[in-house]
Amino acid sequence: MGLSYKMRLVAVVVVMGIAVAGGLFVKGLVKPASFGVYGHYRADAIEEETLIPIRHATNTSCYTCHPYEARIHKTGLHKTISCEFCHGPWADHVAGNKKIGTLPVKKNKEITTLCLRCHNTEIKARPHEVIKTVAMPEHLASQKVKLTHNCNQCHHVHAPLKYINRAKQITGLGEKKL
Amino acid sequence: MKTDQEKRDFLKKVLNGTIAGSLYLVMPMAALTMGTGDTPQDPKGPDISKLPEQVPGIRGKAYNILEQEFAFVVDITRCIGCGACCVADQQEYNVPEGNYRTWVERYVKGFSDQVYVDAPNGGLDGYQTPRSDIDEWIRDTFFVPKLCNMCKEAPCVQVCPVGATFTTPDGFVLVDHDRCVGCAYCIQACPYSVRYIHPETKTVDKCTWCYHRVRKGLLPACVEVCPTGARKFGSLKDKNSEVYKILKGPGVLTVLKPEMGTWPALYYKGARREVV
Repeated sequence: MGLSYKMRLVAVVVVMGIAVAGGLFVKGLVKPASFGVYGHYRADAIEEETLIPIRHATNTSCYTCHPYEARIHKTGLHKTISCEFCHGPWADHVAGNKKIGTLPVKKNKEITTLCLRCHNTEIKARPHEVIKTVAMPEHLASQKVKLTHNCNQCHHVHAPLKYINRAKQITGLGEKKL
Repeated sequence: MKTDQEKRDFLKKVLNGTIAGSLYLVMPMAALTMGTGDTPQDPKGPDISKLPEQVPGIRGKAYNILEQEFAFVVDITRCIGCGACCVADQQEYNVPEGNYRTWVERYVKGFSDQVYVDAPNGGLDGYQTPRSDIDEWIRDTFFVPKLCNMCKEAPCVQVCPVGATFTTPDGFVLVDHDRCVGCAYCIQACPYSVRYIHPETKTVDKCTWCYHRVRKGLLPACVEVCPTGARKFGSLKDKNSEVYKILKGPGVLTVLKPEMGTWPALYYKGARREVV
């Protein structure tokens, strides 16, 4: 160990230099390309997140091919309801401008269950100034229909008061007395 | 005593030096990239140009990620607990059963000030029956939709050991599924319990406020399907957006767990103090 003090200093500096250079080299190998552009993460992950397929395509896309339902739905009290809530997402129905599947249409008791999801008076947590609710089967009894009736036998599911208003018009029952 | 103090000072200096040095190694390079226009059109997806522009100011130009800010407002006084948001969210991402990116809780407050909270299947099946297990007079009851709070000081981001979860410059807390090692530290850190381990990818997953939709000028799926307008989303850079007007206006807005210092971008309107 006949190295002079100066040489030992040089050796220490050289070793440290090699360590730093090695460290930087390894860092360059393992660090993803966009890491650290905005912060301590891979910036490309932001753009990758935008590539997730869109599965809900708004009522506007439904209306393009279903003008009959659109006309009724747009005028009724249910106009704020999304088609895709009851029928399922657009992406299960269309892909690349081609129909790939049929979306379910609720039938019979399923309809009543679906209606009561929003319109059940029993659920007191519902703000009743936001939604009109009914008690079942009292509503059926008070309207003098069979207790086995489903909601859609009186209410059009897309525009709930469509038939009711029409019936009132014809019979003159709902008109205000002058 | 004096030597102790000197030792302490010396150690402090060394430690500071080490920290500064290691910081220098991981410091970001000043290179800032900007988006180069609309995100590419998915050939199987809907034609974006034909869909309404629900979040104005994003489509048809380069997205400047540094110049955007968004907010989410949940109006508890309008939530009817239909669960449309939960269904839409589950369908948009094919969320595996038993996991929820968003959910709706039912709060019931008795006259004894006892608070009962439940969320059967996260509200995915709606609320068909009232609670039958409460043996007292009910003073107040309401629904509370829950989702990611998009904290400005996100605890989940702070604890992630691999930089797999992060806050984007436009304010979204996202997950890099390529980097996530599934350690679940962020699940423990999140005060709002919005994170879960995806059973297939084994990486963490969470509500993203539908970042992929927002970047195409569409509303998040849950906001899109909400029939009563209980969920509102919009840009704070757009002076005409509903959320901008709500945030600017005099109405009382609260955030969840403000004492945690997370500074959420999700605001609640009409939330009682029991809501956590």
